[in-house]
Order: sequence, then C-alpha cells, then structure tokens
Amino acid sequence: MRFTERVFCGQLTPDHLGKTVQLAGWVDAYRDHGGLLFIHLRDRSGIIQIVVSPDVAQEDVCLRAATLRAEYCVAVAGEVRKRVNGTENPNIDTGSIEVMVSDLKILSESEALPFAISDKAMVAGAASAGAEQVAEDLRLQYRYLDIRRPSMRDNLMARHRIFQCVREFLDSKGFVEVETPVLTMSTPEGARDYLVPSRVHPQNFYALPQSPQLFKQLLMIGGMERYFQLARCFRDEDLRPNRQPEFTQLDLEASFIDEEFLYELIEELTVRMFAVGGIALPRPFARMTHAEAMEKTGSDRPDLRFGLHFVDVTNVFSRTNYSIFRQILQRGGCIKGINIKGQSESLSKNVLQNEYAREIAPSFGAKGMTWMRAEGGKLESNIVQYFSDQELDELKQRFDVQDGDVLIMVADPSYAVVTSALGHLRLHLADRLGLIPENCFYPVWITDFPLFEATDAGGVTSSHHPFTAPDRVDFDPKNIEELLSLRSRAYDLVMNGEELGGGSIRINNRDVQRKIFAALGLTEEEMKEKFGFFLRAFDFGAPPHGGLALGMDRTVSMILQTPSIREVIAFPKNRSAGCPLTGAPSEVKREQLAELGLLNLGGEETLPGDSHRENIVDRLSWVSRIGISEAERPVMEKVLSQASELSALARQRAGDMTPIHSAVPVTNRLRPGTQENRSPLAQSGQLLKTAPSIKGDYFKVTAVLE
Amino acid sequence: MDSVFFYRNPNPDASGNGPLGHLSIATQPNISIAGWPAEAGSHALAGYTALEDASVAARLRKKGANLCGATRMSEFGFGLKNSLAAQAVQKGDANAELVLDLAGECRLAALHEGLCGYKPSYGLVSRYGLIGLIPSMEACGIIARDCKTIRDILEAVAGPDEYDFSVPEDAPVSFSTQGIDPEKISLGVIEEARSALSDEDRVIFDARTQTLKKAGFTIKTLPFPDFSLFSLVHRIVGSVEASSCLGRYDSVRYGKRVPGAKNWNEMYLQSRGAAFGPLLKSYLFQGAYFQFEQFSGYEDACRIRARLLSEMEQLTTQADFLILPAVNSASIHAPNTTESLDDTYAKVFHTAFTNVTGQPAFYLPFEGNKGVQLAGPRLSDARLLALGEHIQNMQQRGQ
Repeated sequence: MRFTERVFCGQLTPDHLGKTVQLAGWVDAYRDHGGLLFIHLRDRSGIIQIVVSPDVAQEDVCLRAATLRAEYCVAVAGEVRKRVNGTENPNIDTGSIEVMVSDLKILSESEALPFAISDKAMVAGAASAGAEQVAEDLRLQYRYLDIRRPSMRDNLMARHRIFQCVREFLDSKGFVEVETPVLTMSTPEGARDYLVPSRVHPQNFYALPQSPQLFKQLLMIGGMERYFQLARCFRDEDLRPNRQPEFTQLDLEASFIDEEFLYELIEELTVRMFAVGGIALPRPFARMTHAEAMEKTGSDRPDLRFGLHFVDVTNVFSRTNYSIFRQILQRGGCIKGINIKGQSESLSKNVLQNEYAREIAPSFGAKGMTWMRAEGGKLESNIVQYFSDQELDELKQRFDVQDGDVLIMVADPSYAVVTSALGHLRLHLADRLGLIPENCFYPVWITDFPLFEATDAGGVTSSHHPFTAPDRVDFDPKNIEELLSLRSRAYDLVMNGEELGGGSIRINNRDVQRKIFAALGLTEEEMKEKFGFFLRAFDFGAPPHGGLALGMDRTVSMILQTPSIREVIAFPKNRSAGCPLTGAPSEVKREQLAELGLLNLGGEETLPGDSHRENIVDRLSWVSRIGISEAERPVMEKVLSQASELSALARQRAGDMTPIHSAVPVTNRLRPGTQENRSPLAQSGQLLKTAPSIKGDYFKVTAVLE
Repeated sequence: MDSVFFYRNPNPDASGNGPLGHLSIATQPNISIAGWPAEAGSHALAGYTALEDASVAARLRKKGANLCGATRMSEFGFGLKNSLAAQAVQKGDANAELVLDLAGECRLAALHEGLCGYKPSYGLVSRYGLIGLIPSMEACGIIARDCKTIRDILEAVAGPDEYDFSVPEDAPVSFSTQGIDPEKISLGVIEEARSALSDEDRVIFDARTQTLKKAGFTIKTLPFPDFSLFSLVHRIVGSVEASSCLGRYDSVRYGKRVPGAKNWNEMYLQSRGAAFGPLLKSYLFQGAYFQFEQFSGYEDACRIRARLLSEMEQLTTQADFLILPAVNSASIHAPNTTESLDDTYAKVFHTAFTNVTGQPAFYLPFEGNKGVQLAGPRLSDARLLALGEHIQNMQQRGQ
C-alpha cells in the first residue's frame, strides 16, 4: 500500500462512487454482523464506514479484520459504494457512502483505552458517548489520545485557523513577525517571574518573559515600525480556573500611530478571528471610559450583554432619618443600586433577605444590602418604614420603578466597596435570573484608565506599567492628588465580561519618562539599575509608538465557546500547574543542582519571602484550616514547643516494635444482604436540614475555590 | 449554667416494659438520638440535630429504658471542663448516664459525684452514632450508683453491630452474675501508679488495698516501669486522631459558618477558627504538628503503644485484676477554670492507660470520691463487674 495515493476519510464524497481508494487511520468503532464487519475508520479529516465482507475480501483480509480493536492504526484499500437504503448515518459527513475493503493492513495495534475516544455513534439516532464525563487529569495524562477525539481535534484545528487569520491579516497590514528572547531579564509586569538558573553565571537567573514588552518597544526604537508575535508568556501566579502558567498572546506594536489606528486595526482583526468561529461581531465596538464602567457596572471589564446598570441614589438620602444610611453619608460614603426589572416573582423576600442580604452580599465585601420590591404602586421591604415618602417617591423616579421590579442598594463609606460589591451582585443576579442572552457577543473598549493608583504607603504606583503615556504631561510629579487624577492613554478590549487584551500608547519622550519614574518615587540611581538599558534607548530618537497584547488562549476559547481554555491548548497544565502527561514539574538530581550552584543557595540565612512559610504556627493553621487570633498565637507557640518535646521523648523511648494503630486489630467485614443505595436521609433532604447554607439539593459554599 | 441538662426529652418514652423499663437514662449530646440536638459541646456542631439513633440509644429504647435527656458536656467530650456529667444521676434525675470515655472522663466524672463510672472494653459496645474524637481509644462509658445497673445497661448495649466494625462478631453479650471468691482472686497494684500519688492520697489508697486484703483478696505489687508512657502515647496518638477526626467540621454540612469569606479556604479558616474552643484548638494544633511536621513522632508513639500493650498483657497474667488509684487529687482543682493540655493530661494520668490498651476499667467509690480504680484484661467485663458488685455488697455490709 502506498501512502502517496492515500485519500482522507472525511473527504470522500459520492463523487468517489465506484472508485478504489487507499485510506489510513484509526478504528473508531466496529460492529460484527456475523462475519460481516462494519468499521468506522477515522483520520484527522473525519470518519468513513468501511465494510469487510467475505464476499469481497480474501480470507486472510477477513481474518486480519477480525482481530481489529478500537484505535488500531490501519491502512485499507477498497471500493467506494453507496450505502444500502435506510442504513445512512446522518451523524457523519460521509454517512451516505461506505468503502468495501479489498485489502487491509494493520500498521499498529492498540491496548485497551483509558477512556472512550469515539464520540460518533455508528447507528443513526444512537446516543454518542462524550468524553466530558472523563476526569480531566486522566484526559491530560493521555492527551495524545484525547487529541484523537474529534472535539479536541476540531478545537486545535480551529485554533490554527484563527492564528493563520491573524498572521495573514497582520502581514497584509505591513506587520512583521519578530521573535524575542525567552531567556531574558525580569520585566516590570508585576506578576511573579518564572526563573531559570544560569550555569555559566552561578546563582544568577534568567526570567521567562511575562510579555515581550520591553523588546517590542526596542523594536520600535529599532525602526521596525510594525511588529507582531504570537508570543509564549509566563506568569507564576496563583492558579484560577481559566489561567495557565504559560500562555500565548498576540503581541503587537506600531510606530507613528495613535489610538484610533489601533482601534481600527484590532476591531477588524477581532471581527475576522470571530468569523472563523462563525460569529459575526458588530462594528464599531462600543467604547466606555473606565470611570463610566465603574460607575455603571462596578467592573473595569463590564459584561454588557445585559442591563442591570447602577443608579446613583446618594443624594436621595442626603437628609434621611434612616440611621445606617445617614452614618454612611456622614462618612463621605455613597449609595448605589440596581433595578431588577420585573423579577419580583423570582426574588422573594426570603431570597432577598436570607440569601442576598445576609450571605451573598457580605461574601462580596458589602457590609449590608438593602432591597425593596415594587407592589401595588408601592415599595415594600423590611425597612421601608424608615424612609420618608419623599425618599421613596424619588427612588421610584430614579429607578423608573414599575410593579414587579426589585431594587437592591448597597451603601458604604467606600466607593470601591459599593461598586465592587454591587458589581458582583449584578453578575450573580444576571446569572441566577438567566438574563444573559446566549450566543451574544458584546465587545467594548475600556479607555481613560487612571494612570496611577494610590499605595498604602501614601505614594502612587502605575496602574498598567510605567511606560504608558499619560493624557497630559504638565503634571507635578510630587503632587499626589494631581497624579491620581491623571488618565492614561491605555485601552482594554473587553468582551462579555472578560478582558481579551489591552495596551497603550507609550511614552517616547525621555523627560516625560523620567517624570513618571520620579512620580513613582524612583531615584536616578534606581531608574538606572532597573531600566538603565531601556532608558538608554530613548536617548537615540524614539518614535511615538503604541501597541496591544491579546490573550489568544482566552480569545480562541471564547470563539469556540469551550468551557475552559485548556480545551483549546494542546498540552495545557492542570489546575495545580502540573502536567499529568510528563509529570512536570519534577525533582531534579542533586548533581544538576550542584552544577547550577543551587545547593547552598541562601546558606544559613532565611530566604527572602520565606518568613511566612517559616512560621510553624501559620503553616499549621493553614494546613489544618483553623484560623487563630493574635491572642491565641502565644498559646499555640507553647503547644508546639511542648509537642516537639513530646516528640523527642517518644523518639527516645520508641523501641523497635511495629507501630500499631488500634488496641484491636481491624478486620474488614461485609454486611451480607445489603445493597448499595442512596441514603434515605439524603433522599428525603434531611441531610441538608442542619447545613449552614444549601441551594436546592446541594450544600452551598463560597463561590470561589481559591 | 442553669441546668444539668442541655436538652430534656419532652416525650419521655418509658414504656415501663422490658428489662430496663424501670431505668431513666441520661446521655450526652455526642450520642445521636433522632430529633435531639447533638452539638457535642462544640460550636462546630452548633444547631445540629441528630438524624438517627446511635446503636446504643436504639438498643436501650428497645429494652424499655427511658432516655430522659442529654447533659452538658465538655467540647467533644475531651476533658471535663464545662462538663456536668454524673450530676443528673447524683441528683436523682436519672438512674444512669452514658458518658464517652476518651481518657478517663466517665470514671473521673463518677469520682466527682461519688458514683460508679464504667469504661467497657474497646470493641464491646458499638460506637455507631457517637460523635467521637479519638476513634482508637474512646468507649461509651456508663455512670450509675451501683454495679448492677451498669451490668444491666451493658448487657443491653454490648455486642456486635454491623455498622461498627471495631466490635468483633464474637463480642460477648452475656453479663450474668458470677460468683466471686476473694480467696481465689489476686489484685495487682502497679507500683509506678501508686508512687505517683501524693503522700496523702497514697495513705488513702493503701488503706483501700488493706481493706480488700482483709476481705481475703491477694494483693500483689507489680512493677511497670513504662507506666508513665501511657500518658505520652495517649497525648500524641489522641491529638493526631482528633485532628484527623475533626477535619469533617468544615461549616459546609453542619455547624455555623462565619459570614463574609471570599473563598473556600477563607471560609474554612474562619469558620473552623471560630468553631473550636481553646483547649481543643491546642489539641488540634498539636495533632497537626504530628501529622504535618513530625509524623515520625506519631509513629514512635504507635511503636510505644505496641510495646505497652504487650507489657500489659504480660502483667495481667500475674494478677487477675489491677487495682489503681483513679486520680491524683492535687490535679483536680475548680473544674471551670481555663484548662491547658498539661492540666488535662495530669488529671487522666491514672486512667488513660486503659484507653490506650482497650482494657475495661471502672471507678468504684469508697466514701464518695476516695475510691479506687479496677481494671481487667480486655473483654473481662463480666468478671470485672462481678468483682465490683462483690466489693459494693461488701461495703454495704460494713466490711
């Protein structure tokens, strides 16, 4: 059999009828009809049914075919023919035809599989088995088998097409793909670096790039004018469900441009990428300032697929008798709320008070939540009697209240607490009430970010990074209040509440750059030490430039609407930042460490950042998940020092007998005559009765695992 | 605290029928009785109501006993701080009380009130439905005024239970009266247990052994140089088992949740931090130390436990029963002050060894709280109780 003449399973059409074809691939599924063998043969392009019949094939072919099992790798030759009427399979593209095998060669056998790969039923209408039930770590451990599954294969191929679309489009716009180093210096992105020890320079480290930020700016200074890269970036951050230690970002930068150029470019690119997934995005994308996003949705990555925008009602209560509000306003606080239109049936008093006010709102950081329901032209709630008629009328007007509406309000001395808590409540309610339309994509540019954020120490820090251009340059770097009022020329692309990417116009004037560093409190020395090589480049005629980075894993995942970004990455890390397939990260030999000069790193000294872990009370409090107060700490310290004495005594007197764990040897026994069954206590719901919090048939816990 | 009872059964179910129909029995809220609050003295189970009957409770009811209520207890039954065990029996509100014996609590509570306190052999009485703390050491103890009542109750509750695999299928179920002939019985005094007493306590203890000697029993002095290690083993192993056992109190299935946690870990940390009292928290931290920092210390303790078990087996071939003091009276001060682990273990110095070995033991009152502790080989419960009954009868006759 010659592979040069091979055709692809999924590309066979009725045009091939009567032709003899060569195929190769894997046995997806097989059925034995008493000597007549039906096989789904699968390759990357799809599935074709092949038939081994003693009427057509020689005996030795039939004998070989009888030994086939799932995922055997085979090559076959045979004639394409139309399926018998009534046996067509609409589940596969080639369902109207089949191949009568005349020759079959087993290229490679397969052992029993750790999970089913086939997800196409052989018979029309039969249920197909999904791999969604398989534990993800098992899928990752056998990722090469997982990738054989059509849904994973489709994801990876779609990812390829999206990447191709990016390359072609940017190439057409004059962008040049340039690679930047992976072994590099720590850059100022602010997350933790992955470090790589240097053997040549013992006890010195490369950092893996968190982004090619400095290099792409240097490429601009180098006159490349338009650069892009599908760059692998690394951040050693705490894992969240949709985060990977290494990820791919579309990194681009251009010179002699402004924001509008980038909006235009990225919008067109985004539309093209989403079109690969069959999604038509509307243009132009909406724009919203950071301040407006916070004011309306409490988030700098607002999900605008639904309403529930905030309404500020602070001044409604400026003379209120309701003491909680009055005290908050006296402390300079604010009050904002949401009108949840026509949802009073879904949001009963009980749900609002016992779930939202008592549990959910506090878990989002609010100290309380006020609710009102509109019924019979009036606002009702457990505290409505504390408000004047005027206040209630004003509320009705502000919120445009109609019967059936539900108002929720959060009041707090801190603007950040109000917007953050209300923002979380907004998302929670939209999810719970099913207010988020399906298959809807709402891209929005968030602009005018604050350039600086206040630090606890009374200074300022960059909201993005220190190379972001400010909206004006005539500021006083010593005037904190003025610094905090500066906006940056940064922009984020947000879709459906997720940040797909962001960027900024950069500073290209060295004096402005020095002013920014001065505002950040860096001395001339410190600037030199941290960014010397980079600042030096600005002494040689840096062009105005700006750029953006898009998280490609997240973007592809959104286009393909997969439940996690791991579904669009060939070999992702699992939730513990490990790779179940290779076992990475792993221990290394002492010799390797010695070679790298890492054996006595830190010597006797405590390593920086290690002090928290060094505290045994904190560590034990953490591992046994028992919080302790500062007042309890000395007691626990004493307990542990006694425990260490007990341990020493036990070692001294241990002797050499085999340890026992019970006074009576434990034996396993069966309960004869009993069958596994669901506990009647669970069935009747009694098990849930004494739980602190439940939802339906489940125990309810805080939403976030981390 | 205004009442001995944490909960009183509003519908006393005494049928008057059955062999225990005449008995009103109190429990503690770590024994599940369907519909009764079962907080086990801990915030970790605040508001928890038992869903089904513990095997012991079901068996007592089946024999006609009236379960009259649950008394106030220490947190998870560890130590006697805040415990009002034995007071219901003392005040006549109950004929008997079930008290979990983790390190001697049942016996010491009986001592405080001058009553009999019995810890059965490990694996004799089902622990199914008990809210435990130290699974390899705890046993459901019984407090009553006399040994006969204890025997009747033990007979009702002892024996195999398909839901508790630590009770062997051949666990004895009969505790009928057995004649005791003092002339044929030797009582061993563990010298190290005796010499740990204060002078004053030792005089009283020696007077007890003298009385029994006069009654015809043979008194033997037996050396046990490792005796103080029982306390060490109990403290290490007990804390590890407690830390592991209380892992389930996570404010998800029961107990109170501290509101406002942003994620699961915070929820666990805060809720579990608020759930446990100071003594138990110390114990759990110590347990965590051996689990996560110094596991070899736990293994060493388990090695010592193996040795102590074999030495104890050796010892019980030299005398029929052991007679020991129950407590060093200096270690008992006002029961409601803050207790440290040191205080707790000082109190159980003489009792914890039977929890380590699984032997039966009980406190037998002499002039109220100046009684002695008797212990026998594992599963010698019937004879040990007969011995107790014999000595009690002897006391009543004024011998």
